[in-house]
Amino acid sequence: MPEAALADVKILDLMWAIAGPAATRMLADYGAVIVRVESPKHTDICRTIMPFHELPPESESAVLFHNMNAGKRMLTLDLGTPAGREVLLDLVRWADVVTEAYSAGTMQAMGLDYEALRAVNPSLIMLSTCLMGQTGPLARYAGFGNLAHSITGFGALCGWPDRAPAGPFGAYTDYIAPRFSAAVILAALDHRRRTGEGQFIDLAQAEASLHFLAPAILDYTVNGRIRSAHGNADDEAAPHGVYPAAGDDRWIAIAVHDDAQFAGLASVLGDEGLTRDPRFASGAARRANVAALDAAITAWTAVRDAHAAEAALQAAGVPAAVVAGSAELCADPQLIHREHVRRLAHPTYGTTPVENARSLLSRTPAVVAGDAPTLGRDNYEVLAAILGYDDDRISELVAAGALG
Amino acid sequence: MLSPYRVLDLTRSRGHLCGQILADLGADVVQVEPPGGSPTRRRGPFVDDVPHVDRSLAWWSENRNKRGITLDLDDARGRELLHRLVDSADFLIESEAPGVQAARGLDYASLAAVNPRLVYVSITPFGQTGPKAAWADSDLVLLAAGGPLRLNGDADRAPLRLGVPQAYAHAAAEAAGAALVAHHERMRSGRGQHVDVSAQQAVTLATQSYLLSAAVGFPDARRIAGGAGIGPLSIRFVYPAADGYVSVTFLFGSSVGHFTRRLMHWIAEEGGCDAATRDKDWIGFLDRMFAGEESFTELFRTQELVADFTRTRTKAELLQAALERDLLIAPVATTREVVDNVQLAARDYWQTLAHPELDRAVRYPGPFARLSATPLRYRRRPPTVGEHNREIFGGELGLDDAELARLGAGGVI
Repeated sequence: MPEAALADVKILDLMWAIAGPAATRMLADYGAVIVRVESPKHTDICRTIMPFHELPPESESAVLFHNMNAGKRMLTLDLGTPAGREVLLDLVRWADVVTEAYSAGTMQAMGLDYEALRAVNPSLIMLSTCLMGQTGPLARYAGFGNLAHSITGFGALCGWPDRAPAGPFGAYTDYIAPRFSAAVILAALDHRRRTGEGQFIDLAQAEASLHFLAPAILDYTVNGRIRSAHGNADDEAAPHGVYPAAGDDRWIAIAVHDDAQFAGLASVLGDEGLTRDPRFASGAARRANVAALDAAITAWTAVRDAHAAEAALQAAGVPAAVVAGSAELCADPQLIHREHVRRLAHPTYGTTPVENARSLLSRTPAVVAGDAPTLGRDNYEVLAAILGYDDDRISELVAAGALG
Repeated sequence: MLSPYRVLDLTRSRGHLCGQILADLGADVVQVEPPGGSPTRRRGPFVDDVPHVDRSLAWWSENRNKRGITLDLDDARGRELLHRLVDSADFLIESEAPGVQAARGLDYASLAAVNPRLVYVSITPFGQTGPKAAWADSDLVLLAAGGPLRLNGDADRAPLRLGVPQAYAHAAAEAAGAALVAHHERMRSGRGQHVDVSAQQAVTLATQSYLLSAAVGFPDARRIAGGAGIGPLSIRFVYPAADGYVSVTFLFGSSVGHFTRRLMHWIAEEGGCDAATRDKDWIGFLDRMFAGEESFTELFRTQELVADFTRTRTKAELLQAALERDLLIAPVATTREVVDNVQLAARDYWQTLAHPELDRAVRYPGPFARLSATPLRYRRRPPTVGEHNREIFGGELGLDDAELARLGAGGVI
């Protein structure tokens, strides 16, 4: 078994919430050594977000927190104490990369901005990621992904034409930005390997996420068109929608992009005549007459089990999928095939589930390592094995309250 | 930053964003299209709504900073030319259905024999193998199969997707990071590998870990308009404004409860609620609900009270107040408002690229990150069909004009 892909990468991780830790989680999966520092006084908001192992939750009940931080070493540090800051600077000396996701200005206020950290580690790479970026009139605008997806235009494009904006669900830009953060960190490491030069990276969640809306942005900057929410309608595919299946709140998504898929749909519906009907003779015709098709599909799906409908449509080459909830996702044969749900040992609950890496590398696959990343779990290991502190020094730190 | 490296981008209609991210990071990315141009070029919207292979905004969205060549990979001469390009390439990205490249002799095993250092990235709907590997897909279907769709929409209507396709953007951006993981390892071992990315698996990140609810016996999240429902609890983010909508993080707990407290103080100052409501324990509100000391009725009452207040203010007024009073409120911005955003303007975010063949200058979303030593540069507008055939086949592979003409006439390029 070859050494893990990123086994030689050392990251001091001051991220919190979702967008930041999700990026370093990806690097941890491939073997990067990550020391995640958490303030014992102001613990990560993810510890208070559902789903939980139990209600009411305690600090280690949050599945989201463990999922975002699996494979990282966890150190508690009170950066308000001089001793805590000394430990932090030793970790900066150790690290290749420092990542942080506080509101803009927070690191400066603590005297821990890039210039200060580079003074102790001249080739340091530092990534700061916040909602709107480190500079500009809204730099200090605090907020989470639900605000970021609203201010960047995702919300206005998600809904029904006759209703208020409906989504997207949760902190949507938090699921986009981490991909860009991980890629830019790795590119900066490559540059440093070749030149010895570190640098500061300012990644605004808003600026990265807008690349997922580029077609709508260009439609405005080029054509002056302001796109609006239009339910599940598609610019090209028709029929294209989410249809009710038998049972309570059961749904199946169906999308028809071409004549072959439409012929498959017609055969599944048992109405080959649809393919000879001039109202449905082309993509444009199907879009114009989609209401009649939607009605025919609904009449067929509404009395069928969602999985049976999915199987029949896929067998005929029609893009279709059950709208899956948690139970179906955890039991999904394809996700099981890719070992998507893993379990880590957890001191309270026996095990806690986490998601796997989302890419399969043939020679150096991801390894989700270690136990549940509980608060302060690795304090001794980090201080003794990574920083080389002796037991006296560690006792002093505990006495000085540096570890909280 | 990645300027020493060559990427061959074979993605056909999905996954172009992976190559664009590497191109934005400085790599020399060559987009390889079938003769006549990529199917993506036939997707709208189009410049002035005139369909044309060199006017597709779907194409422009994901192919900036790349060079473009045409090559028929179903033709033996085309594959021979590709092999010559693979010989000096560092990355290859493709998005064919599993098995298609193997049938052409262009799968990882075949090309690793040509260039063992190659990092070969495959972006597919469900992955290379497994029971759903051959399933028919689309954006909507992948969002359904990966979980985000069910969480999104109005409770009394069907689950809902975003109006701009997202699934392959997630997969492609994931793939860019994974490709660089493999690259990092190659710099030690000298060996490439195959990177297999599934769009279904990529979009699971957008469930915010609710995918795992069933694994711990926790209730599944429910879709509600502009928020989320869990059990009897409704979290509502979208509130009306005088001129549209805003998103308000009206939540509780030690990290965000003080924002809610400040909001309620503002509402009370303006006469929108009484002192007793203002002075509730907004940090401990959820704990008090679990303890039965606060009720859902009370939560819904205060949500309505917040709505009655925001409805009297414009989006701009609410954002201004958020900045002055440190509140968690954001406008639900239209695309125009995004392009006019003062923060993005102050940071000089938008980048203009000239499209001389159309006599236009086009504003694009700007660099996804700001780097102090190696700023990301927009060096090239997206290529027109076959724009760099002569430069690459002639200049780099050394084909002469007669050979190029023969390949053109034969439909190979």
